[in-house]
Amino acid sequence: MLDVALISLIQDMSEKAGIEGTIQYWSRVGENLAKRMGKEAYMGWPSFNVALREGRTAYSIEGEVNPLTDLAITDEDGDVVGYIYALKTCVFQPTIRRVMDSVGEMPSADREVAQEYNDSVRDTAVCNFCVIHQKFREEVAKSITVGGHVLECIQLADRGVTGETKINVEALNKIGINPDYIRSLLRNFACVYGLLLRDAHINPMKIEEE
Amino acid sequence: MAKTLIDNNPLVDVAAFLFLEDIADKQGEAGMNNYLMSLAASLAKSMPEEEYATWDDFLIALKNRESSLSVYEDVITPTDYCIVTTICPYWRGIAEYRRRIGELAPQHYNVAEYYNNTIKPGALDTSCVIHQTFRKFATERIRVAGKRIRYAQLSNVSQDGRHKRAPEEWLPILLEKAQISLTKLNMLQRSNACIWILYPDTT
Repeated sequence: MLDVALISLIQDMSEKAGIEGTIQYWSRVGENLAKRMGKEAYMGWPSFNVALREGRTAYSIEGEVNPLTDLAITDEDGDVVGYIYALKTCVFQPTIRRVMDSVGEMPSADREVAQEYNDSVRDTAVCNFCVIHQKFREEVAKSITVGGHVLECIQLADRGVTGETKINVEALNKIGINPDYIRSLLRNFACVYGLLLRDAHINPMKIEEE
Repeated sequence: MAKTLIDNNPLVDVAAFLFLEDIADKQGEAGMNNYLMSLAASLAKSMPEEEYATWDDFLIALKNRESSLSVYEDVITPTDYCIVTTICPYWRGIAEYRRRIGELAPQHYNVAEYYNNTIKPGALDTSCVIHQTFRKFATERIRVAGKRIRYAQLSNVSQDGRHKRAPEEWLPILLEKAQISLTKLNMLQRSNACIWILYPDTT
């Protein structure tokens, strides 16, 4: 109920604080939440991935996150420096459905905030809550070490309630993953991201010009 | 029967509570109280108005979660005017907060105390401020047999076992309106989250 009540104020907040102000506010909410979760350390990727599956990491607050261990991110030497992770259901989907069922369509500020974020920060938002969620993930990664190395989170792709998708081709090229792999993942997952060692040296994927 | 709304996700619940704490830090207890009340009023006003031919029709809608007053919670009705919320709709959010963050921040209790002292006594934490204000404004949008209805808060119980009852001097009047005895109220409190009253406005 609290989540639905907050949505009824998004319009009001964006009118008073402006669209940019709302983005800043939501970013702070995501950052504050991540900072309150505490630090984590893992011996290596297997122990991190097992912890993630068992819901022991800060990411478990998102719901069912699947480590896609067949999609490893490798560095220049071919060593595994990260993996792709996929979230089954968007954390805000229940809230959005609840709003649609009990109140009606989402306020127009929802789209406006997402659009402004896509234009000014990164083209990865399908709704205004992506601002909170993506910031949360980035900040949580900074509090986790795997084999003594701090993690970095890269937003790769997401699918909104209405079916709209965003695929971060630039980020996928950076970690050497074919965007088509990720596109197919969106059939079964709502959100896809990469976790990798922040100091890893990765060969970007070479895109052949047609 | 109304569609069952999907469970919320812990990230949303916990982030929402932290968002409120951020407001309390910046605007103080009075500012946060005003914010929560306007949040609840805004939600209630964004929901469609309702009309029912009879009180029985209204009670059926309440029990089936078809009314705005019960769309977020399961209720039972021991009498025609006594409404009982079996599980607080904020229960899960607070449980997730305690599990993942720790103790609920003191602002949530301080703001409730401010609400109790300045608006009406009935809140245990910030979620009660939102919930009870929502009920008040949602009630104003409902007509039964063409007449307005009224809402009053009788008693509520938090996850940690704390109780908040209507003041002693109000209790006999409210119990009479609810058509329950004090013993029955104590019995209802044992296994439910919130006991409230809806009755026709006869003024």
